[in-house]
Amino acid sequence: MTFIFFIHKLVKIGFLIACLFCVLSCERKTLVDIGTDKQILYFGNGTDITGIDPHGTNGMPEQRVIKAVFEGLVAKDPKTLEIIPAVSDRWEVSEDNMTYVFHIRENARWSNGDPVTAHDFVNSWLRGMMPGLANETVTSLFVFKNAEKFYLKEVTDVSQVGFKALDDHHLKVELENPTPYFLQLLDYLALFPVHTESMKKFGAVDDPANPWSKVGNFVGNGAFTVKDWVPGRSFVVEKNPYYWDKDVVRLNEIHFMPIDQLLVEERMFKARHLHRTEWMPYSKIPAYRDRKDPEYNHYPYLSTYFYVFNVTKPPFDDVRVRKALAYAVDRETLVHSVTKGVQSATGALTPPNTLGYTSRAQMTFDPDLARQLLAEAGYPDGKNFPHVELTFNSSEDHRKIGEAIQQMWKKHLHIDVKLKNQEWKVFLHEIKNLNHNIARMGWVGDYIDPNTFLGLFTSLSGDNRTGWKNKQYDALLNKAATIADKQERYEVFQQAETLLLDNAPFIPLYNYTTNNLVSTQLKGYHQNILDYYSYKHIYLEAEKPSE
Amino acid sequence: MLLFIIKRILQAIPVLLLVATATFFMVRAAPGGPFDKDRSIPPEVITQLNKRYHLDDPLWKQYVDYMGNLLQGDFGPSFKYASHSVTELIAAGFPATLELSLYAILFALLVGLPAGMLAAVKWNTSLDYVPMSVAMIGICMPTFVLGPILLLVFGIWFGWLPVAGWGQVPGDKILPSITLGSVYAAYIARISRGGMLEVLSQDYIRTAKAKGLSTARIVFVHALRGGITPVISFLGPALAGLLAGSFVVESIFNIPGLGRFYVTAAFNRDYTMILGCTIFFAFLIILFNLLADIIQVWLNPKLRQELEARG
Amino acid sequence: MSEIVHIAELTNLEKGRSLTQDAFLRLRKNKMAMFGLYFLLFLILVALLTPWIAPYSYEEQNLELGASPPSARHWMGTDILGRDQLTRIMYGSRISLMVGFIATAVALTIGVLWGAIAGFFGGRTDAIMMRIVDALYALPFTIFIILLTVVFGSSMLLLFLAIGAVEWLTMARIVRGQVLSIKKQEFIEAAISMGLPPSRIIAHHLIPNVLGPVIVYTTLTIPSVILLESFLSFLGLGIQPPASSWGSLISGGVEVMEEYPWLLAFPGVVLTITLFSLNFLGDGLRDALDPKSSRD
Repeated sequence: MTFIFFIHKLVKIGFLIACLFCVLSCERKTLVDIGTDKQILYFGNGTDITGIDPHGTNGMPEQRVIKAVFEGLVAKDPKTLEIIPAVSDRWEVSEDNMTYVFHIRENARWSNGDPVTAHDFVNSWLRGMMPGLANETVTSLFVFKNAEKFYLKEVTDVSQVGFKALDDHHLKVELENPTPYFLQLLDYLALFPVHTESMKKFGAVDDPANPWSKVGNFVGNGAFTVKDWVPGRSFVVEKNPYYWDKDVVRLNEIHFMPIDQLLVEERMFKARHLHRTEWMPYSKIPAYRDRKDPEYNHYPYLSTYFYVFNVTKPPFDDVRVRKALAYAVDRETLVHSVTKGVQSATGALTPPNTLGYTSRAQMTFDPDLARQLLAEAGYPDGKNFPHVELTFNSSEDHRKIGEAIQQMWKKHLHIDVKLKNQEWKVFLHEIKNLNHNIARMGWVGDYIDPNTFLGLFTSLSGDNRTGWKNKQYDALLNKAATIADKQERYEVFQQAETLLLDNAPFIPLYNYTTNNLVSTQLKGYHQNILDYYSYKHIYLEAEKPSE
Repeated sequence: MLLFIIKRILQAIPVLLLVATATFFMVRAAPGGPFDKDRSIPPEVITQLNKRYHLDDPLWKQYVDYMGNLLQGDFGPSFKYASHSVTELIAAGFPATLELSLYAILFALLVGLPAGMLAAVKWNTSLDYVPMSVAMIGICMPTFVLGPILLLVFGIWFGWLPVAGWGQVPGDKILPSITLGSVYAAYIARISRGGMLEVLSQDYIRTAKAKGLSTARIVFVHALRGGITPVISFLGPALAGLLAGSFVVESIFNIPGLGRFYVTAAFNRDYTMILGCTIFFAFLIILFNLLADIIQVWLNPKLRQELEARG
Repeated sequence: MSEIVHIAELTNLEKGRSLTQDAFLRLRKNKMAMFGLYFLLFLILVALLTPWIAPYSYEEQNLELGASPPSARHWMGTDILGRDQLTRIMYGSRISLMVGFIATAVALTIGVLWGAIAGFFGGRTDAIMMRIVDALYALPFTIFIILLTVVFGSSMLLLFLAIGAVEWLTMARIVRGQVLSIKKQEFIEAAISMGLPPSRIIAHHLIPNVLGPVIVYTTLTIPSVILLESFLSFLGLGIQPPASSWGSLISGGVEVMEEYPWLLAFPGVVLTITLFSLNFLGDGLRDALDPKSSRD
């Protein structure tokens, strides 16, 4: 009897607890409500950031934080992506586009109150090239005259490197080539200034383990500064009281939340834990799109998704086989059915209209031509086609795309391509050593210029996973680098891209789209093809009650 | 007893060394290094990175250096979080994992024990079948299915509870603890039912029944002990399993715990972090198993006598 | 009283045949267990015949159709690429049942032997054997699997071994615990004093008497092995797309359970019924083999 009574009691207690939850939850305020109230932005930031040293990382999540706590000589307008003044308020360019003089703003300050000077830039850029730091983005500093030679110790005299402080407020810069996208680079990791003076307090300037970037030690010059950092939990930045343009900044804090799973992120947004997600899974898109959800945001992204062939091994050492497979892919159906119509099919490497450049040559869907090419290569109707594998890193989305393309090849060419998914690092290892037949790749532009894409397939490119090397192609890209005139330069790029598509070391598939969820409370937020933010212009505003 | 404990602790040392050695060579043999990224790093930079982390030394030297540091309690710097040491990262992640595991086991006990006892007392009736069937589903339902379902229902449809985080919003610890604990609740229900049935069929319980003692008295005074004993010996391995298995729940609920760090480290090939976490978890597993064994010995007079006799 | 049962058992074991017959008779009386057995036999039959009876091809896509709910043409609906889900579950059962049974058998064999030997001999042997288990428990599983795929490629045989290699550890622990608790009982001491060789005692007296918990744990291992397989294929070990398994269908289904609930529901229900069948059969077998536990 007593035992049953005990159970009854337990049930009652359970029921009471449940009731308590209901009452509590009705009054519960979500993070988004609290954040909007206090101008705190909850920002989904992808994988956990591993550090905020501009000379110590090249990951996207890290870049998004670094852009909040550092500022370069110039910045980009978040709406138009045009170059706008930042630490430098004006600059002069020489006739040949090879020499720049930047005027540093008088009121530019570090977050400890020190003025930002031209010397800071010189010291930072020199630090970026220190070997002990093993800076992953060091190549972006090679835009300066003699910088690469200096890094490789072919030049030992610092004064020959192409940047010099004329005085505290004037910085003279000489370039290696008339790089049309130079100003865009200034807003990129390795070219941000760092406060080398305060680093020295905590250890060697070129020691990556130097704790200068930790809470309390950190000195930056961005609109925000470091408030709190717990790995895996969040990276919190707060308004920098010394920022030269502080009156514009309306957010008090930004919480960069590491979330490694897209599904988790989408759920968190739905439960109002986040103001903005980094991305969203393809499978969730149709529902949002169909109900015209105002928080669903999509915009072209400067990037391309493609498959690469390993041209060093048969059968893909034969250009006809490569082209046959490329012509047998129905890109329109692929983006419509598999990626749910949110991406745009592409027949070239450089995304269309990259600063006015669109490739003239395009890979098309032509199954008849594909079959003919395959027959010419000695595999009529797919007969005797060797065993080949399509390798991709494990992911639901890559898998679906691979399965769809596998079926297209089967249907149009009667060949059986095996699919093989691999864990990420194994995958990287395999394609680096050219152990694949066909592999999946994606490329995101660092700056808006065809060069960031076409440079991928040069012989010297570290990311060319095809084994394809073409002297004529290399020569064209080297030629383009020396040309200052835009039209003339683009013409050379056209020739290069035509040559590339004619050799087909890769199969272009589609251009990515930024697909994410952005709260309607987020104002001053603009979408652009670089997925670039200007945090200082963002603010939060609760919706007015509808009545 | 004390001797038994000391013996076991001494035995733990070679186990930890074995784990460290095996893991060291395993992670090095795995393809892809910490600096393989989707964007290639210039070769000169790779050379510098290898130099910095002594990856250019011969492997045996790296091993000797690592073990030397390990014996001094130094796990080294993380390869991925350049400005953090492995010890710092473990310290940052472990509290959440431990707390989550404790709540989960608490939930498992609160639900599992009464359910198992009820089922044993009402053996072969619907009060036995229903909780036991639920327990079966609980065991079978993997956390990666249960978690999202709970989230969808309580977090999103009803909006009662937060769907992510740990200690950021009130109530965000409830769903992860339930998700992680439910499998163990199910196990505990089954185990305690079995243990109690065993006891309830013993002669002395029959005698007690015959004497006319009330069911409650029999259950709480006599049978409970029999039901709880196997549960306690289950708790040690279970807690160790919870700690190691919390990764799935941590990633579903975005909890900044050590399980997530560990798996991320494996995917990142963050050599020192993988080693540090492995050794740390190995230590915990050994510790909890030892505790479980001690309790088991304590509760089993026969074994205790034997141990004492052996000295 | 228990002494009598054990002695009876001891004599029974010497005449193994009558025990097996007895057990089978008892099993046949257990309706739930027989339901479980028949369902499992049905599943195995379907799995074997799948290539001939499946309504569609497991890789045949219908991109225009995409994900569609259950209908007359597709009883269990279609997935995002428009593939028939019933077909994919049927083909999946071939892989999942094979993985479930074979990998569990591997785990069972190693685990039971290891645990019984450690428990029976005790002392130093026990300490060394169990510390090896502790050490293996602690190794990073993900890295271990990645290494296996890299060194040996991605074969099905390796998949069984990999899963078996992980699952036997818990089995060994359970068996050892059980052996320790019955080792001191009279019938084992009697067997020792009769001078029977240890291998015989372990095989004929210890293992049969720990079968109960082992069977229960085995029925719980099979479903978790089936689900583990999907994580291994994520790491590149085991099946490769477009082939399907229950594990991969369920983990794929979880991702889209809001949009296309049938993609989680059907494979989930099939797995659950299988689990219950296994469990009923397991409980039935335990009771049948061990008359002591079938009360009143």
